[in-house]
Amino acid sequence: MQKRIVIPFGPQHPVLPEPIHLDLVLEDERVVDAIPSIGYLHRGLEKLVDKREFPEYVYVIERTCGICSFIHGLSYCQAVEEMMKIEVPERALFLRTIGSEYSRLHSHLLTLGCLADGMGFENLFMGFWRVRERVLNRMEESLGGRVIQGTCKVGGVRKDMDGEMLERMKAELDVLDKEMKEMTGVLLRDDAVKYRMKGIGVLPKKDAFELGAVGPTGRGSGVRIDLRERGYAAYGKIGFEPVLETAGDCYARTAVRCRELLLSTRIIRQCIGKIPDGPIETKVTGNPNGEYASRVEQPRGEAVHYAKGDGGRYLKRFRIRTPTFANIPSLVHMLKGYELADVPVIIMSIDPCISCTER
Amino acid sequence: MELLYGLIYLVAAPVAGGLLTGLDRKVSARMQGRVGPPLLQPFYDVMKHFQKEKVVVAKIQNVFVLGYLLFMAFTGALFFSGGDILLVIFAMTLSHVFLVLGAYSTNSPYSFIGAERELVQMMAFEPMVILAAAGMYLATGSFYVSDIAGTGKALALLLPGLLLGFLYVLAFKLRKSPFDISSSRHAHQEIVKGITTEFTGSTLGRVEIAEWYELVLMLGFVYLFFGWSPPLALVAVALAYFLELVVDNSFPRLKWPFAVKSSWVAALALGMTNVAVLWYFARGVV
Amino acid sequence: MSLFRMAKTALKNLASKPATQMYPAKPARKFKSTRGRVENDMDKCILCGLCQRKCPCVAIRVDRDERTWEIDRFRCVTCGCCVEVCPVKSLRMENDYTKSTTEPKMKDSYKSTNPNIPGLKPAPQKKAKA
Repeated sequence: MQKRIVIPFGPQHPVLPEPIHLDLVLEDERVVDAIPSIGYLHRGLEKLVDKREFPEYVYVIERTCGICSFIHGLSYCQAVEEMMKIEVPERALFLRTIGSEYSRLHSHLLTLGCLADGMGFENLFMGFWRVRERVLNRMEESLGGRVIQGTCKVGGVRKDMDGEMLERMKAELDVLDKEMKEMTGVLLRDDAVKYRMKGIGVLPKKDAFELGAVGPTGRGSGVRIDLRERGYAAYGKIGFEPVLETAGDCYARTAVRCRELLLSTRIIRQCIGKIPDGPIETKVTGNPNGEYASRVEQPRGEAVHYAKGDGGRYLKRFRIRTPTFANIPSLVHMLKGYELADVPVIIMSIDPCISCTER
Repeated sequence: MELLYGLIYLVAAPVAGGLLTGLDRKVSARMQGRVGPPLLQPFYDVMKHFQKEKVVVAKIQNVFVLGYLLFMAFTGALFFSGGDILLVIFAMTLSHVFLVLGAYSTNSPYSFIGAERELVQMMAFEPMVILAAAGMYLATGSFYVSDIAGTGKALALLLPGLLLGFLYVLAFKLRKSPFDISSSRHAHQEIVKGITTEFTGSTLGRVEIAEWYELVLMLGFVYLFFGWSPPLALVAVALAYFLELVVDNSFPRLKWPFAVKSSWVAALALGMTNVAVLWYFARGVV
Repeated sequence: MSLFRMAKTALKNLASKPATQMYPAKPARKFKSTRGRVENDMDKCILCGLCQRKCPCVAIRVDRDERTWEIDRFRCVTCGCCVEVCPVKSLRMENDYTKSTTEPKMKDSYKSTNPNIPGLKPAPQKKAKA
């Protein structure tokens, strides 16, 4: 007779970067069911909208998450600007795009490192984070901070990047490409690593579409959903193709992220080539009145920021729907039928960012 | 005289084991591009463990872990005083069983799965180690460590398959990737720290010291293969340890079905062939 | 069979210098735009309180009667709002980080040395000894 035991996976677990609680029902080390419960990181950031005026609220929204912070700020600014019908100058749009892509590089490198760590491969984890240091140094130099940048503001950006800095960034992108190819080569081509990832956590395309998987989780199963194609910020002026894989297992999702690293450096190069001169901000007068939902492509998928104002200095309501929240049903579906040893790899392959999920 | 060697082992092995562990952490850190902890860090860690509050779930676990430590020390002392190698192997198995019983007694799901995996791990490396003992008997004609170490024969050249097989399963014993399936040094696996999850304070300190005894014992085994020339043997032991570190830093953790299958294949292919070849020649000579 | 791909990098790292630094024994790496800590030039500060109103973390406290400007270093996130909004440009962002402390409170309080603050009587001058 098979024995069923319930293992509490998390909230405190050395493998998880952030606290999520999953009750795994196991039969002889095989997962039969998983019951998620979140709420360990809820800080009530949406309530602060009553207490911080709308230009300062961007600092609160940026601190929703440390990994995807730039794009949260960008999305908030976009929502308020669309509500107030503010026209953001072109140079600011390009600078925001460069910041977004750097943020995406940083986030993917972090995730891939944590995935290697979840497999027990500490050396690769350190290798990825070493490359990430380069990206963080460039972000600190140009945007103003390693993890929380504080660059986006309603009406434009706060800091400018002069031509010399852009040239230096461009030169460094080649070094970055080489180092990233070396590390992702180990991740994607080493047989021992492939053994841990191929065929694990398969999500068929139909299930991915029905369960609402977004971001690399969905793109790894062949669902073509990439919000950058809608053309917000400066993405409409840059040509690129979203990265798709069809297998739907952990290997495919990791391959999507590795290829997106190289796609990001290509986008940054295009931005640096096409960036026009001009002002970086417009003066903001008046107060937000109305409502708007702004959708952006976070490194983990699609994020929706809904803002509602009624003419005062304080916004009436602000709500974020983060990509990890949309991916949790897919995660529960993916876990069934695999062994306990695969659970960390599967969880890390959807890239959980729980601090966004439960602002 | 040989009893003296055993007593020296009891006193000196923790020191040597701790220094080797410190060296392991420093070299691993350098391989990852970090500075690494100071060389004496394992000693600081163990001293800290002994100062911590004892929080035990079931008091019987202390008895079991004490049994693990005492039997591991006894095994090593027996080995270094030239005793019977079969007794050494089985006493080591007994000490691991004590550890497994200690983990079972805590009623925690993580320790439970860690204990199951430790038993699987023992199943994986026992055949290879027993074959190594059999091969040494065939090569030297005796089961006693003192005779095997003192023999003039070049055992590494007579038993190459067994040497390679033994180095393959050394990763199991030293708890290194790709085979750190029950409890690794780093504690970020799916079962937290595996078999030692529920141990704290002085219990965990005793587990750490027992692992140092085991480390010196395992390196002693590798020494046996090169016993005819002590300087060469010491170099070989150092190289074997360095090789383990490189392998640890180049592999993720592999799952236990693969670990068991591959070690049995290694035991069969390398070990059995070697033993069969030796037996054939020994019959011809004798 | 492609194995040991990482071994090349591992051995190369072993032969080169480590990538990490022993901070705080060695100073931290910083750039021109590193946001370290907020400092106030008390000769120029006019104690208007705009920084206090704009701060998203409520870290600054301006007391016009006491003539002090206080900042709670634990609450400050070095966002730079105060620096941008200061009308006399007395606030600036330094590149060095605040040093770590073992106390649970870290409030830095500075007394104003500006004799001409609009809206306030000049500070009573001490009679100089002959």
